[in-house]
Amino acid sequence: MRTKQEYLIRYKDGSLYCELADIWIDPSKPVKKALITHAHFDHFTFGCEEYISTKETAILLKERVGDNIKIKTFEYGEEFKINGINISFHPSGHILGSSQIRFIFAEEKWLISGDFKLQKDETCKKYEIVKTDYLISECTFGLPIFKWDESNKIANDISKWITNSPEKTSLLFCYSLGKAQRLLNEISETNFKGNIYSHESIHKMNNSYRELGIEIKDTIKIENKKKIDELKGSLILLPPSLSKGSYLKNFKNIQTAFASGWMSIRALRKRSGYDKGFAISDHADWDGILEVVKKSEAKNVFFHHGDSDALSKYLVEKESINVLLFGK
Amino acid sequence: MSLKKFSELFLDLDSSNSTNNKIEVLKNYFLSNDPIDNSWAIYLLTGKSNKRFISGRYLKNLFSQLYEYPVWLIDTCYLKVGDSAEVITLLLKNKSTSRKKELSNISLNELLSKTIPDLSKLNEEEKNLQIKKIWERLPEDYHLIFNKILTGTFRVGVSIGLITKSISKLINIDEEIISHRLMGNFKPSIDSYEFLINKNINLEELNSKPFPFLLANTIEDKIFKNSINDFQFEWKYDGIRLQLIKRSGNVSLWTRGQELVNETFPELVEKMSHIKDDFVLDGELLVWNFKEQIAFDFSLLQKRINRKSPTRSIQIKYPIIFIAYDLLEINGRDIREIKLENRRIELEKYFSKWQNKTENNISDIFKICDLIFPNDWPDALTYKEKSRENNTEGLIIKKKTSIYSSGRKKGIWWKYKVDPMQLDAVLIYAKGGSGRRAGLYTDYSFALWKDEELIKFASAYSGLTNIEIKELDKWIRKNTIEKFGPVRSLKPEMVFEISFEKIQISKRHKSGIAVRFPRITKWRKDKKINDADSLENAYELMKKIL
Repeated sequence: MRTKQEYLIRYKDGSLYCELADIWIDPSKPVKKALITHAHFDHFTFGCEEYISTKETAILLKERVGDNIKIKTFEYGEEFKINGINISFHPSGHILGSSQIRFIFAEEKWLISGDFKLQKDETCKKYEIVKTDYLISECTFGLPIFKWDESNKIANDISKWITNSPEKTSLLFCYSLGKAQRLLNEISETNFKGNIYSHESIHKMNNSYRELGIEIKDTIKIENKKKIDELKGSLILLPPSLSKGSYLKNFKNIQTAFASGWMSIRALRKRSGYDKGFAISDHADWDGILEVVKKSEAKNVFFHHGDSDALSKYLVEKESINVLLFGK
Repeated sequence: MSLKKFSELFLDLDSSNSTNNKIEVLKNYFLSNDPIDNSWAIYLLTGKSNKRFISGRYLKNLFSQLYEYPVWLIDTCYLKVGDSAEVITLLLKNKSTSRKKELSNISLNELLSKTIPDLSKLNEEEKNLQIKKIWERLPEDYHLIFNKILTGTFRVGVSIGLITKSISKLINIDEEIISHRLMGNFKPSIDSYEFLINKNINLEELNSKPFPFLLANTIEDKIFKNSINDFQFEWKYDGIRLQLIKRSGNVSLWTRGQELVNETFPELVEKMSHIKDDFVLDGELLVWNFKEQIAFDFSLLQKRINRKSPTRSIQIKYPIIFIAYDLLEINGRDIREIKLENRRIELEKYFSKWQNKTENNISDIFKICDLIFPNDWPDALTYKEKSRENNTEGLIIKKKTSIYSSGRKKGIWWKYKVDPMQLDAVLIYAKGGSGRRAGLYTDYSFALWKDEELIKFASAYSGLTNIEIKELDKWIRKNTIEKFGPVRSLKPEMVFEISFEKIQISKRHKSGIAVRFPRITKWRKDKKINDADSLENAYELMKKIL
């Protein structure tokens, strides 16, 4: 057995790091070279000398933070070499441009899952099963209580929620990149045919998606001084950061909801302060994580981004899979 | 008229934070369902005496056995969810293989009066199989309701008050009347529902029921602007609030939780039945120190509370007294609308009559509360400070001109509690909370210094704001020394001000002391752990009080 220092990829200063290539994956502090799995802000930090990502991630990042960052891009599946290590991006199904990253060195394969999901999502490429020896997987929802419903069922629930209260303005809070576009895509298939407004941050991302060839339903950019009557019976998509504070005073007679995997638990739903919760997530549920672990054929698995104790114990006891711990 | 409708009602109520909305939802539900299901709905929502058919632990073990799931994994999930019924509901998702859902149209009445009670006729093995069968035949959307009914854990944030309001709106009758009709045991039946929504008010029908209790509010500063003469002052006893009713010769004792406790205090029932008049009295039941004429500690009363049909020796060892502070009805005449000062005159008049004319001496079990007469507000404060000397919790201040309405109405009664005792203690353990606080560390243990060592002296759950809870939760996760199941031992670093009501010697605790109602009153971020109090400080506090 190798010591932690000898693994090709390990944890250093709170992020994944490959010493042999001197390259970091989604680092939380500025470094020389950073591989970026996707364009969510908790996977990205300013000030790195060079970024490497998929083409889509690069465009979304630039849309969010401006053009003056240096990004090298590769297609999904295209291999590139750093210090003798073969590296490639593969679709992870999380959001547009999101990827798993595979490292091959001395015939040993390592796979970083990135954030991923297996569920249907027409706004991004489907998760690709990649075989590996070592798997580093996220486990945000690594408990068997998390089992997602089909996204069209959730969209129908949202549609009913809006149409059942025609007198109200329905505010749906969701992450502006990925979740919002997926929801728009699903909601356009439901019976709800009223107006949909979106906050500027979401509007911007919708446009970027369209530029990248993804069809997204048209929404109206929400102006602060909209007449209350116009908004009655319509849906407004807002980023969660606006759910607290004075922004909501712009509206009257509202009902609020949050679209997140955590909303499947009643205590969290109640504590969140929203009227309603819709359990829809861009992360894998318990069955999804197990499926990926099995299909990857990994002999050794690491978990991060989540409470992995139960998941690890389960895999060791039930599936006889070797689960390793990073020394953090 | 089915479980389906009730499931939808549950979801509607659960996803609404507005009271008016909830009332509207309830009203519509009552309008569109039949009386028997309505009656069951009220029974479940008010959670008055929801029976537990199986425990949460049993449910978890059953699921583990049926679906070959490790118990530890279910327990881990429970820490996140905080409710056994919900954990099992979430785990049951997609488990059922049968497509046919024969039970999708089952009525609430059938489920509650037949399907579930029938379970208890089965032996354990049959019962387990039957529960599995029900799970498979019930649409997934109803699993939560079913599991919650099984485990008797129905809490939806619907209070009796909301039910009262919605029925009052439904039939346009005063809330007070509905509230009175809802008092006492609510037995689900067509009759009980029709009685509730009857538009004709017939007070005799309410004979067996206590009046809705009037509750005191915490003191507000603005009261001090009023003349002291506008108020009646009483000691605030730390016992059980009771309505003592004698109607048509029958005595009944009702707690504020609307429980009939005649069997727990038979000697009181017996003595009071000798009084010739009929009446309704509001007062406090205590275990009484007759020598010193003060109440014994609440812990002695606890020895009586859970014991039905106590033996003679228990009755002698823990002698009870009922201290009446209000007269609400006399010989069939409801006098709640009379001013308090006049009700007091009536109370005193009848009490002296009963004392003189009742064959059996009643004064060893029944008296009326003494009034206090402070000269001014500072004087009232002095009385309050002295309340520990006679084992009371402070003062109750009542407006002399007030009528006896129901609930926690403002501006009628106030409680003026003695300042709590306080110590600064160090946080040493945390445990995951349940229910609303699931997934957060919200149960804390605190320690005091003994030489160089920190000794646990109290556990507290309440007192922090939600924001503080979240902040502390984050800190706890980062500063854990060891995990023992759900409990984490923590780096001693955080100091909190802990307030409590009583402090006494206890051999059961390592610290040698026990405190009552400990709660967090301040997060002392300004203090280092060396500034925290020692056990010695606690002993001094105890001496001061004794």
